[in-house]
Amino acid sequence: MSQDSFSRCHPAVNFLYFVTVIGFGVVIQHPAYAIAGFLGASLYYLLLKGRQGLSFIGSMAGMLVLITLLNPLINTSGEHILFRLFGRPYTLEAMAYGAALGVIFALTMIWFGCYSEVLTSDKFTALFGNLIPALSLLLVMVLRLIPSFTRKTKQIIVARSAIGKGADATESRKDQIKSGISIVSALTDWALEGSIVTADSMRARGYGCAKRTNFHIYCFRKSDAFLVGLIALLAALVLALGGTEAGFTPYFYCDYVTLGFPAYCALLLVPSIMYLREAIVWNNLKFET
Amino acid sequence: MKKSTLFSILTIFLLIPATLYFGSHIKGRWYYLTSTLVIIEIMLPFFASFESRKPQSRELVTLAVMAALATASRVAFAFIPYFKAITAVIMITGIAFGPQAGFLTGAISAFASNFFFSQGPWTPWQMFAYGFAGFWAGLVFYGRQKWCRPWLLGVFGFLSILLIVGPLLDCCTVFTVLSKLTWANALVIFGRGVPVNLIHGLGCGVTLMVLTKPLLYKLNRIQKKYGMMQKEEGNL
Repeated sequence: MSQDSFSRCHPAVNFLYFVTVIGFGVVIQHPAYAIAGFLGASLYYLLLKGRQGLSFIGSMAGMLVLITLLNPLINTSGEHILFRLFGRPYTLEAMAYGAALGVIFALTMIWFGCYSEVLTSDKFTALFGNLIPALSLLLVMVLRLIPSFTRKTKQIIVARSAIGKGADATESRKDQIKSGISIVSALTDWALEGSIVTADSMRARGYGCAKRTNFHIYCFRKSDAFLVGLIALLAALVLALGGTEAGFTPYFYCDYVTLGFPAYCALLLVPSIMYLREAIVWNNLKFET
Repeated sequence: MKKSTLFSILTIFLLIPATLYFGSHIKGRWYYLTSTLVIIEIMLPFFASFESRKPQSRELVTLAVMAALATASRVAFAFIPYFKAITAVIMITGIAFGPQAGFLTGAISAFASNFFFSQGPWTPWQMFAYGFAGFWAGLVFYGRQKWCRPWLLGVFGFLSILLIVGPLLDCCTVFTVLSKLTWANALVIFGRGVPVNLIHGLGCGVTLMVLTKPLLYKLNRIQKKYGMMQKEEGNL
């Protein structure tokens, strides 16, 4: 799998970045910040996923519209009443608030989409392996076992249907449930017996005798330190310069945009700029030869 | 005093109140951030005590297998819509191995399965809700063989999902999409979650009713046969 330049950074940089942008994203409800966050997240998501990413962003936009229209039904305060629904006022302010919430919701979901692409499970365990050794070992084992059990379940299903005991969509509900129970209990037996072998092997190889060492391929380079510094600086600027407050109901107000806003935009664009810079350099190299 | 006990006390009496206090003074939308931080902080003592116990290989492997089974069991019921055995398997783990094992299995299987689907703002809430399901089932039924009647388990599973686990999952929605946090507004969201929770609860109840007996039998058998999830002698 080819990775973009931000994904190749040290996992700590990735983690810090996502904690920062998602944290700001869910807290700041100033419209300018929210829209910038939405655009920044979408840009990076599209760069990561290509054309496939469009449908996800589209569905998030659908949620945005839904939340915009539904919020005035729950929140009825506001000065400009558009119309009355079942005797309850449906206000412009509440609708604007709904739109802001929808944008915040969408940008959070999209950032999490990017997070899932960038911070894969191996990076997570590499990052936390020293801090929580037993839990991250547990996590690694579960992540390995899920596909293995899924495969085994399919094998059991095929084997059962070969002896005429399969229950497919045509069978009655009761038979389907019965068949599912048999499959799960066969799987459990197999899995538990297998786990004994694993546990004994772990013990024979000396698990728990000494501090666990761990191997990972990520090293903290100078460029990573620079990125950590940059993210921290931009985040500090956003916090220090303020101008992020806004309120919607009962009446709309928002702070004047300060220099914190360009800092926030720069923060949002960090991974996208890294991605594009790499693409441009690569293109130039291709044409030079 | 054990280090992990001290850590738990500090978390519950200092960290969580501090988060609530500072969290509610954030300028902007504080509901989601603060509530999620608190949820994570509630889970910390469980994880810390697991780490400081230095779990042995058998315990570790058994928990891993149960957590993976909970996630993989959905394939077996693929034909039946809305029928999710995941919470039922987590609850059975709690019943067989105790509340703490139930909590860890639930939290880890929620976290791990999200690596296959997608991590999202719901991840900490899901970890806590599923973990709580295992913990709660273990608290009530662990070591009480006589109580493990199919109908009782079925009713227990159904009510637990409908009244506790489902609303916990809905809390995430409440804190993300509500513009004004009042009881009336929250009730609207919880009300909209009821049909989903009903189906989830029915699925869990039925699974518990029919799956508990064979699964508990197997888990007890393996416990007897290999001495799993019991104190291992020395560090052999």
